[in-house]
Amino acid sequence: MSRNEENKKFWLSLDDLKNSLSSAKAKENEFADGMTDEFKPEDMPSHSRRKFLALAGASAAFAATACTDYRDKGEIIPYNKKPDDMTIGVANYYASTCTGCSNACGILIKTREGRPIKIDGNPDHPVSKGKICAAGQANILNLYDPERLKEPMSGTNGKFKAISWKEIDNSIIEALNKSSADNKEIAIITNMVLSPTQKKLFDDFKLKYPTTKIYSYELFNDKNRQSAWKRCYGESNFPVISWADANVILSLESDFLGNEGNFVEQIRLFSGKRNVDDAKNFNRLYVAEGGMSLTGMNSDHRLRIHPANQFEFVMSLLNEIIFARKTSLSILNPAFTSIIGKYNLKDFAGKNKISDSILSSLVDDLIANKGKSIVYAGDVLSVEVHIAVNILNEVLGNNALYNKERQNLRQLPISENAEIESLINSMYNGNVGAVIHFDTNPVFHFAPDFGYASALTKVPTVISMCEHENESSFRSNYILPIHHNFEAWGDFQARTGLYSLQQPVIAPLYNTRQKESILHNWINGSAENYSEDGYHQYMMKNWEQNIYPQLMIASGFQSFWFAALQEGIVNYKSPVQALQFNLSSIEAIDYKPSKGIVLVLNKNYTIGDGRFANNGWLQELPHPVSKVTWDNYAAISLNTSKQLGVKIGDMISINMNGKKITIPVMIQPGMADDVVSIELGYGRKFGGTVGTNVGFDGIQFMSKNNSTQFIIHGVSISKAAGKYKFASTQEHHAINEPEVMDFPKKRHIVQEGTVAAFISNPDFFKEGKPKTEDISIVNRVEYKGTKWAMSIDLNKCVGCGICVSACNVENNVPVVGKDQVLVGREMHWLRIDRYFSESPEEPETSNQPILCMHCDDAPCENVCPVVATNHSPDGLNQMVYNRCVGTRYCSNNCPYKVRRFNFFNFRNHFEDGYYHKDSLSLMHNPEVTVRSRGVMEKCTFCIQRIMEARQEAIKNGVPLKGSEVKTACQEACPAEAITFGDAHEKDSPIDYMRNHKLGYHVLEELNIKPNVTYIARLRNKATEVKS
Amino acid sequence: MKKTVLDYTLKVRLPVTVFVIILSFILTFFVSRSERDGIGYAPEQPIKFSHKLHAGTMKIDCQYCHAGVEKGRFATIPTPSICMNCHKIARKDKPEILKLAAYFSSGKAIPWKRIHRVPDYAYFNHSVHVNKGIDCKNCHGDVAKMDVVSQVHSFTMGSCLNCHRNAHQRLPELARQIKLGPDNCNACHR
Repeated sequence: MSRNEENKKFWLSLDDLKNSLSSAKAKENEFADGMTDEFKPEDMPSHSRRKFLALAGASAAFAATACTDYRDKGEIIPYNKKPDDMTIGVANYYASTCTGCSNACGILIKTREGRPIKIDGNPDHPVSKGKICAAGQANILNLYDPERLKEPMSGTNGKFKAISWKEIDNSIIEALNKSSADNKEIAIITNMVLSPTQKKLFDDFKLKYPTTKIYSYELFNDKNRQSAWKRCYGESNFPVISWADANVILSLESDFLGNEGNFVEQIRLFSGKRNVDDAKNFNRLYVAEGGMSLTGMNSDHRLRIHPANQFEFVMSLLNEIIFARKTSLSILNPAFTSIIGKYNLKDFAGKNKISDSILSSLVDDLIANKGKSIVYAGDVLSVEVHIAVNILNEVLGNNALYNKERQNLRQLPISENAEIESLINSMYNGNVGAVIHFDTNPVFHFAPDFGYASALTKVPTVISMCEHENESSFRSNYILPIHHNFEAWGDFQARTGLYSLQQPVIAPLYNTRQKESILHNWINGSAENYSEDGYHQYMMKNWEQNIYPQLMIASGFQSFWFAALQEGIVNYKSPVQALQFNLSSIEAIDYKPSKGIVLVLNKNYTIGDGRFANNGWLQELPHPVSKVTWDNYAAISLNTSKQLGVKIGDMISINMNGKKITIPVMIQPGMADDVVSIELGYGRKFGGTVGTNVGFDGIQFMSKNNSTQFIIHGVSISKAAGKYKFASTQEHHAINEPEVMDFPKKRHIVQEGTVAAFISNPDFFKEGKPKTEDISIVNRVEYKGTKWAMSIDLNKCVGCGICVSACNVENNVPVVGKDQVLVGREMHWLRIDRYFSESPEEPETSNQPILCMHCDDAPCENVCPVVATNHSPDGLNQMVYNRCVGTRYCSNNCPYKVRRFNFFNFRNHFEDGYYHKDSLSLMHNPEVTVRSRGVMEKCTFCIQRIMEARQEAIKNGVPLKGSEVKTACQEACPAEAITFGDAHEKDSPIDYMRNHKLGYHVLEELNIKPNVTYIARLRNKATEVKS
Repeated sequence: MKKTVLDYTLKVRLPVTVFVIILSFILTFFVSRSERDGIGYAPEQPIKFSHKLHAGTMKIDCQYCHAGVEKGRFATIPTPSICMNCHKIARKDKPEILKLAAYFSSGKAIPWKRIHRVPDYAYFNHSVHVNKGIDCKNCHGDVAKMDVVSQVHSFTMGSCLNCHRNAHQRLPELARQIKLGPDNCNACHR
């Protein structure tokens, strides 16, 4: 019946239909006349039915309480045969290698009852030294991600159905054979190849299918650095830099502390030279950059230089150092010296409004620290800048800092744009029989003008091996689900002198295969004989035959192999590289900067090249500079925003040759004018429930023709319609109100000094400080035994956020989602506050990790009506979830705002229970309660680790030693900024830090006796520069 | 004043009803207490294993089977492979042992009924208690005398604290060696 039959009448009886009067009257009363005439309640029997039911119910209830049977307590199920090396309740650790990016860091995987629950760096790994980045920490969520691909699938046009591995193998092997027979190319597209066995596998694959070609790419790469190195030294494997020996560092548009190179190692080495007890040997960091990077935040002097002017800057420095300061190098090619002569530092300073005094102290420092300084250009800069920087380092004798025994190594060179272009051309021409995405996502990563996505349609067989669906798998014929990092075997050689091994720590959760195993099976040419152990055997054989003999090890292969797997690494003596700089060969380099606005495409800090987009922990990790979560943005300077007439969150459109993006704007203090910077990796279209459409995709501005892929000239920006809300964990407005900007300094939340002041008077920090009177309205508790305390050295902390990620994993911290961060409900137990001071153009930044201070007189404890938060005798502010009724008084009364309330059962609330799936319960730390809705939570100083240490101490019959307990954040901190332990343990590191001359407590005037001591940051300002 | 039905209800019926309810509640509270705490709970197990025979008559040490109890939080239930250390040879023709052997060879786990249980939010640690020399029977009763294991003591927070706070009275044989147990929240809850 359709809607327009509204007039249709429904009737009950024919009378009704006739609409007679009697019928209408009958409907007026509920009961017809006389119907209740004979119903007299007083005549009813006294035990009515109702009463009877009530009595029966009551007696049944009483009977139930009185004679209830025992509650069933379920079953307790032991293993059938327990693995020998496992004790229930005791964690096992396995050394492996992280495959999250091309750094191949050594990791140590903590497993409980066979389930990986925590990742840290491998302490025996000479590069990682027990540290790993935030993504490496959170990688565990990818293993248990509910949206991991679980079955192999085939299909077309984005419609897939699951089929068996056998069928898929058969049809693919057939297709590969056909391609080989027809002399059509088989293209394997892989990321950077660091594994020697993987390389051998590719070689064997080529032998079986001779038309195969291997293409390797990285979205973020150091191609420019490499080719500059090749031109200068004739060798493309550039050496590792000994950061720990650099007294002066000049970083040019490089975020070597944030996301460039092996930044975890670089943070460790950099912060190692920021030891307040050795203040005379502090390093000094000059940063010249257009954007505001984490490295810039940690600089002692920061120069705002437009990225297009970096070449001029380096050449002017060369001119100043060689000619004005007479540090000449005779072997320079005369043609080149004449080019240098065209540049002048004074002119440069004038043009770019840079203070002369900073520049002259920079030049002084570089010359005074010849051979002990380093100039480091960022990956985004052009080859020319890198060459000029190489020359500058040679002129200054800084090649002493190149570690000639350790070079960055890759098994295959990264493909040139021309190679990829010719691949795509042959795809268009129908000369490619099969394309294999070897855990890569080129549809998302390749510059759009390659036309890769449409070229794929011309290829008969497109195979995607991936963990999650992605833009490339959507356009494939076969989707092959692959093992996660922790389920697979592998070997890596990222540097000379070191192999790092990868081993599985859990049996495959789903019907997946290791990507190398899949290729290995195809090499065998038969779908029948697949063995899960195949690649493992292949790798062992490769080691036994090819690698082990070269290592000249006395022990037999079997014992060598198991020892190597246990340690995760194999060290060997690599030959020293003779670096012969070919200065005279550099005749003329030139670089014409173009005028106008420049778009800089940066690497993001959390989600890699987009591969971690479906990882809620990483999406929610605050950006270290802007503190924005779940987004990227176009960062511009205050001046540029004024010219455009935009405020934070306004949309702007960026145009370039017909490419256009509309993206919200973030006004970033410290940005150079006329620079827009966008972080790549966001804006995934097929990134899973969590990662799809988070942020904006800046890759579209990349081009196959650009020599500098990441610095885009000739863009225009204009204001666009619309407003956007950023989910920021820290307020970001009011940057241009001076009184607000200096607020944290005025309240002594951030306390800083300079190295010079500290050296001339080590007591300067505490002198003249008003003494706070120690009064208390309650009786002070005397702490006898153990008293837990922490200290954070702000000289070392760079604000990278790795501690936050580690804390999330260790303490089962939920993901809340952008909508909840917007209303301030993020659940991180540890946050890193970022403060700007001075002017919005040239700000000084300060980082400060804030967590529960476990105050002796904690204000939260006094106001809890149910004593759910109280103090333990060893000085911990304890939070008892079972007692908490959720009044939130404690949070209201906490001066540090470190308490977090579960407004929802966030696992259930986020994306309709996305993180409430069964697979996720395997991930949770079994020693930490998974909190539910309605309770308060906060940092516990990792009570579970304290209790574990206590258990060990009791087992061994020794007293508990506080310095042996390591909190998760402390263990993860690459800068070793965090110290934890028993304040009453004499001569322990924490005892020393608590009484340090630079130690202070945040808001100590409140007299609540917080137990986190901050070591004030000393800025290593050049003395002659007036700030 | 006229006596009404309401008067009767308020003055007689209501107090009597309330009294009866309270009385029965109090009675049932105390009568059913042990059952609520699980004392006396002795479920039928999938295999009729006798602690009296193994731990009592044959004097096998608890930790021979409950291995790992001194290393971690959990006492661990022995795996069939531990049973089979002896029962590959001993009494292998008996019906219960045949059941055990069937579990062992089929690779299936034995679904033992759980008797002692502390809630998830309490992180009881066996190893610290065992390593302090506290005998298992202080909490689990004299298992060596039980053919069928049943719960003897209550496992409520009150019972834990009762011993933690009065350790020297409850465990006089250890009074010189152990301190009082911790009674702060974090000792068990995190």
